[in-house]
Amino acid sequence: MLDKLDLVLGKISLAPKDFLDIRHSYSMGESFTVRNGRFDSVSNQTMGGIAIRALIDNAWGFTTIVDTDIESIVKAAKKAIRIAKSGSKYTQQERSISDKWIYEGKEITRIEIDPREIDKEVKFEKIVETEKAARHFSDAIAESTSYYQESHREEVIVNNKGTKVETDNHVIRIGKNIIGREGVKMQNVTGSQGGTGGWELIEGWNPEKEGLKAAEEVEKLLSARSPPSGKMKVIMDPSLTGVFIHEAFGHATEADSIIAKRSILEGRIGEKVGVEQINVYDDPTIPTLRGTFQFDSEGTKAQKRTLVKEGVVNEYLHTLETAEAMDLEPNGAGRAMNFNYTPLSRMSNTYVGPGDMSLEEIAEITKDGVYLCKSYSGYVFTDKGQFSFNCQSGYFVENGEISDLMGNVGMTGLILEVLNNVYAIGNKWEPAFKGNCGKGGQWVPIAGGGPNLAVTDVVVGGNS
Amino acid sequence: MNSDFDLHDLAEKVIRIGLSKGADQIEAYALYGTVRGVQIERGSIRRFTDTSNSGIGIRILKNKATGMASTTIFSRESIEKTVSEAVALAKVSPPDTNFVSLPSDTSPAPNIPDRYDDNISELSIEDFTELILATIQEAKIKDNAVIGGNFSAGKGERFILNSTGVDRHSEQTSVSGFLSTKISDGDDIGSSYHYDAQTTLKEFDYLSIGKLSGERALRMLGSQKIESSDLPILMDPETTYGTFAPILANGMNAFNVFNKTAFFVDKIGDQISSPKLSVIDDPFYPGGVDSSPFDDEGVVPKKIPLVEDGILQTYITDSYTAPLVGLENTGHASRFSFASKPRPSPYSLEFKSGDISKDSLLSDLKEGILLIDSSLESSGNRPQISDQINQGFYVKDGEIQYPVKEAVIGCTVYDVFNKIEEVSKETENRSGHIAPWVLLAPIRISGGK
Repeated sequence: MLDKLDLVLGKISLAPKDFLDIRHSYSMGESFTVRNGRFDSVSNQTMGGIAIRALIDNAWGFTTIVDTDIESIVKAAKKAIRIAKSGSKYTQQERSISDKWIYEGKEITRIEIDPREIDKEVKFEKIVETEKAARHFSDAIAESTSYYQESHREEVIVNNKGTKVETDNHVIRIGKNIIGREGVKMQNVTGSQGGTGGWELIEGWNPEKEGLKAAEEVEKLLSARSPPSGKMKVIMDPSLTGVFIHEAFGHATEADSIIAKRSILEGRIGEKVGVEQINVYDDPTIPTLRGTFQFDSEGTKAQKRTLVKEGVVNEYLHTLETAEAMDLEPNGAGRAMNFNYTPLSRMSNTYVGPGDMSLEEIAEITKDGVYLCKSYSGYVFTDKGQFSFNCQSGYFVENGEISDLMGNVGMTGLILEVLNNVYAIGNKWEPAFKGNCGKGGQWVPIAGGGPNLAVTDVVVGGNS
Repeated sequence: MNSDFDLHDLAEKVIRIGLSKGADQIEAYALYGTVRGVQIERGSIRRFTDTSNSGIGIRILKNKATGMASTTIFSRESIEKTVSEAVALAKVSPPDTNFVSLPSDTSPAPNIPDRYDDNISELSIEDFTELILATIQEAKIKDNAVIGGNFSAGKGERFILNSTGVDRHSEQTSVSGFLSTKISDGDDIGSSYHYDAQTTLKEFDYLSIGKLSGERALRMLGSQKIESSDLPILMDPETTYGTFAPILANGMNAFNVFNKTAFFVDKIGDQISSPKLSVIDDPFYPGGVDSSPFDDEGVVPKKIPLVEDGILQTYITDSYTAPLVGLENTGHASRFSFASKPRPSPYSLEFKSGDISKDSLLSDLKEGILLIDSSLESSGNRPQISDQINQGFYVKDGEIQYPVKEAVIGCTVYDVFNKIEEVSKETENRSGHIAPWVLLAPIRISGGK
């Protein structure tokens, strides 16, 4: 495919300042879900096609095709150029892609055990036993679900500047979602294991243990105290720290929103936004995490990004276009969900660097507040700098000690205030959050984490 | 090329291959669509797109076990492989004794007016851009307004065939636009958005997208933190729809009811809300973006009351869930994509109007919060709501005082239904989504002050 796409590029006539890239994507996946003792979904998905982008006279043109013969690709490339040209008369901004950044290489995700060679019955057994263990735990379990997902994606990316990249990425996950109900009161607990790699990442999943653990947590949550509301001190567990830093800060560093003047962090490189002890990173090169890759969807070599260094905004997440607009080297953050979409500035594995305090020490200096764990979801309005996210459960912190369990609760805050309100950072680091991030209709796998993080003056509100 | 395929022939072929490979029942669900898109950045055009999307999802039943497979590649080899994958998965899957049969509805599907508009399917990118440039001008309410967004216009076809007699085809056009506007005044930032989606160009209120996006952004300047307290909430029609429709979709969905996770389990005939709430689901609303002559399994639905005077009337079902809850198939099967399994979901909801004017609702409000184009959403499908106020205003003595920031509304979905105090006599209709202003009794709000 690489040679074919390169041949197509040779058949297209472009001016030196023009840009054209062609991305072939082919993916296969399997997903199985068991719910309340029945197979709810047993499916196999195949997607294949080609995405073509052209940047001509400051405007982009984008088209997609599923055919892979040279004639069709050439025709589609000419169409992308034609629609870019027709858009150029309407644009008022300058856009270009540099000749300086050319990437060549091949990414092979290391797989120790290829999940495609594992019998389906073995995969079924893992989720059946997980679901069964949770469902049989107590009558309070209303819905017990366990799922298995694997996906395998190959991409070939070439552009007229000289980039030639092939990638081979594999993501695997097994998980559970257990819902408990007593009358109108409901609570649920989720959890998953997996990442970028093969069966070895989930081989250690103990179905009975995982199912029972989730069911026990759900049952306890049903009788947990109601969460408090108002402004208070919040200690986060590593999973919630991951979601917090993703929503409260990470999205605002995505350079496409900076260029579009839709981020409150526009023009704040070098500006202090947090306490000196805080460091925030986004690193797609950490092996086996869910947001791991070696080349992004524009073919740029991925690298570790230091978003906040000692409390100061240090770096944004760049695509080829945003890096050129700021006269910087691209840092490999252009990700696309599949061939139907164009790459956007995206996070990968986002985390807070470790500090030096134990959880007990943090609780002691907190005195009164809440210790919150795991997250369901979150979102942010990067332009006005306001974020919000939910946790699954938590504990009261009373007189410096972690005490009673409480139900789920939501939080909101302001990007430019929150990192300055960090008052303690834990010493145990864990990339505990594994999820998907949505932006512009595109969902990509991500991970997040960090240590326990303690923040004061967080607005908490909920109702159990 | 996918677009050169006759999708009906392809679906028929899938049925034949599946049966020959041992399927007891088989269904083919195929989509094809073309879309032209325009992206706006900083008030001018950034990108034009012209794309086509297609795919086929195959569902096989074998000894009551289900196997599903899907592909976007329509070559003979790919189709045969995909059918084989679905058959293989059905053969190794454990049976689901709850499964009865794929539907066999062959009743005539109604003709819904205004579902297809040549003015959209033949709209040139240049003409489309002229509309977009005009609405951008409407959003430029201040010199420093930063305007971004996306517009798209396209057409799509859907084929649903199965081995039990269903053979359906529909086509639809759509045009949609979203603009967000940011206005700064020193460090103060006001930001808002507006959106419209229609099936015909004549109903596409493109100028309002920019106008409301700009006006609302201006109104969001000067936001303030508030103290925690219990306050009444006044919802505009977009907030009413955005809050109540998802709760009803979860609460009345027969799949969730069977699994005991629906908000309204065992509640048919019961009072689930204030008597001021009545809601109808209309699959055939002319020109409705969510209207459809048949569901995603090919079953023709009916216009049905969901809630009358606060009393729950029914659950919404599909072929799998109807026998599970002892109701007839209401034709509400809906798929997230061609690759996914159907689940019951409502079409276009019409909320009945009340008898008080919207102006009176606001002027009579001593103290409260007015929510604009927002939604109070439960997280994780639990009844608890804990949601940030994004576009909300503090109201005192019937007057809007200032926009609110850093505040969380905490309640449950049951609170939202039971606390309905008033419903306005005016409603707004957004392509078949019809909703009034609604006043809720005091709800806990955590403020950042």
